[in-house]
Amino acid sequence: MELVSLFITSFIVNNIIFMQFLGTCPFLGVSKKIDTAAGMGIAVIFVITLASVITYIIHYAILVNLELEYLQTIVFILIIAALVQFVEMFLKKSAPGLYQALGIFLPLITTNCAVLGVAINNIIYEYNFVESLVYSVGISAGFLLAIVLFAGVRDKVDYADLPESLKGSAISLITAGLMSVAFLGFSGLQL
Amino acid sequence: MNKLEIFKNGVTTENPILVQQVGMCATLAITTSLINGIGMGVAVIAVLTGSNIVISLLRKFIPDEVRIPSFIIVIAAFTTIIDLLMHAYTFELYKALGVFIPLIVVNCIILARAEAFASKNSLSDSIIDGLGMGLGYLVAMILLSSVREILGNGTILGFRILPEAYEPMMMAIQPPGAFILLGLLIGIVNYLSRRKKA
Amino acid sequence: MKNNFVKLAGVLLIIGAVSAGVLAWLNDVTSDRIAQNEAMASMDPAILEAVMPGSVMFNDYEDTALVDTIKADNNKFINLLTAVDESGNELGKVIRTWSTVKGFNGDLELYVGFTPDGQISGTSVISHAETEGVGSKVTLLAFTEQFIGKDASGEISEGDYDAVSGATYSSKSFLSAVNNAINVYAEYVK
Repeated sequence: MELVSLFITSFIVNNIIFMQFLGTCPFLGVSKKIDTAAGMGIAVIFVITLASVITYIIHYAILVNLELEYLQTIVFILIIAALVQFVEMFLKKSAPGLYQALGIFLPLITTNCAVLGVAINNIIYEYNFVESLVYSVGISAGFLLAIVLFAGVRDKVDYADLPESLKGSAISLITAGLMSVAFLGFSGLQL
Repeated sequence: MNKLEIFKNGVTTENPILVQQVGMCATLAITTSLINGIGMGVAVIAVLTGSNIVISLLRKFIPDEVRIPSFIIVIAAFTTIIDLLMHAYTFELYKALGVFIPLIVVNCIILARAEAFASKNSLSDSIIDGLGMGLGYLVAMILLSSVREILGNGTILGFRILPEAYEPMMMAIQPPGAFILLGLLIGIVNYLSRRKKA
Repeated sequence: MKNNFVKLAGVLLIIGAVSAGVLAWLNDVTSDRIAQNEAMASMDPAILEAVMPGSVMFNDYEDTALVDTIKADNNKFINLLTAVDESGNELGKVIRTWSTVKGFNGDLELYVGFTPDGQISGTSVISHAETEGVGSKVTLLAFTEQFIGKDASGEISEGDYDAVSGATYSSKSFLSAVNNAINVYAEYVK
């Protein structure tokens, strides 16, 4: 089925972090503990999916009809910013523990390349509504997968004996690179 | 800080990619060839300086409560300006950079400078800061994309510099290479700055 | 406080409106250039080069009335185009046409290019339904290059060209398309 293939492709083969590089900032920043990472991943799934739906509708219903496509960047990013605000307020009330743990990284979902990237790609790839939904969920599930895997690995890396210069982002990036090699292996996957 | 210090700050001490380590998405994705790295770097300088200018000019006019949305609108507007200009006048580069041009709007560096500097400093200082940070970004892009293009393709700016017999390290051009090389680059920068402090 | 809210909303609205205005203006200024870039990107460079070497784009011929006249008179004619190079200089004319004689499996669709002094600059098959490996050989340069340089003053007769051996129908169909283009060129364009 085409939709299943689309999901698998967005989830693994074109994994948003390891193959497309979108969303690297929060990926490197949040993922020290597995439960925080999972929480971030789920928040991202929610934001990306909702943002995709709303931007998709606004684009086709308003921007295209009024020939205002050039306003796409401004309109999309404002929608995303507003959405993140709502998610923040919602989490503050219903999951204050997670809200605290995510800290600064929650508002930073606004500047997460993945969210805007997915919204724009939905338009570029000319997906219909259902395809864009599958694509969004697949991509953000891939983000969750990547961030949780990475948190697991980083846990061990923190205990390793490393030269001072490599500690911090340097070793994180190198580790991500090695994980990326694994995902590269999926690129031959054709469904 | 005087003007020279502000400028140097952006290029070295607080280099957005190598030290602050923000805005990495484009850095990893675009740097497969030097010309792409330079193109993206210049585009970022344009958006960053432009938005710094406008935000600095409007800093007394924008109320605190709506400053973030205001910054976002300004930055998005400049990003769209660059997008339209590139679409019309530098089409090949536009196709190469693709979705990463509109993604300049979510490049953390620009919002960070708007919030941390341009909204609190004079117009001339903000221009210098924009140029400095932008140049720092460009330098990092040049470093990374040169290495990736040479190792992964044997060329620089399209000119072959390694002998034909050189078997290109495909990994350098692919995603893992991006992560690993950037990590090593940051590691080297860390090492150099620690030696300087000692 | 209501006043404060109005002020906040007002500031955002002004910034938004000014931005939108600037972008609307810039969009207007650049839209032609952008449309041109996109159109050029959609043409296959191989076809451009095969039909009119050095060309980057085929543009619709400006005199649409003439094109309509030709379409009314010649039902196998599809379009008349101008081939331009990078600087926008005209290199010659291109005629897009169906064949007038069916091939083995149906009509062939061709581009035929003409230099300003009335010689064929090149051809390219746009679509065909001929047998793969047999009739499809009419798309190959080995067959098509014989037409380059031929004078467009009159139809090419069957004795004046070499068909693909074993693909007589496809070859004749190809020839008919070229001749149709030659006729249109000689009668309407020259």
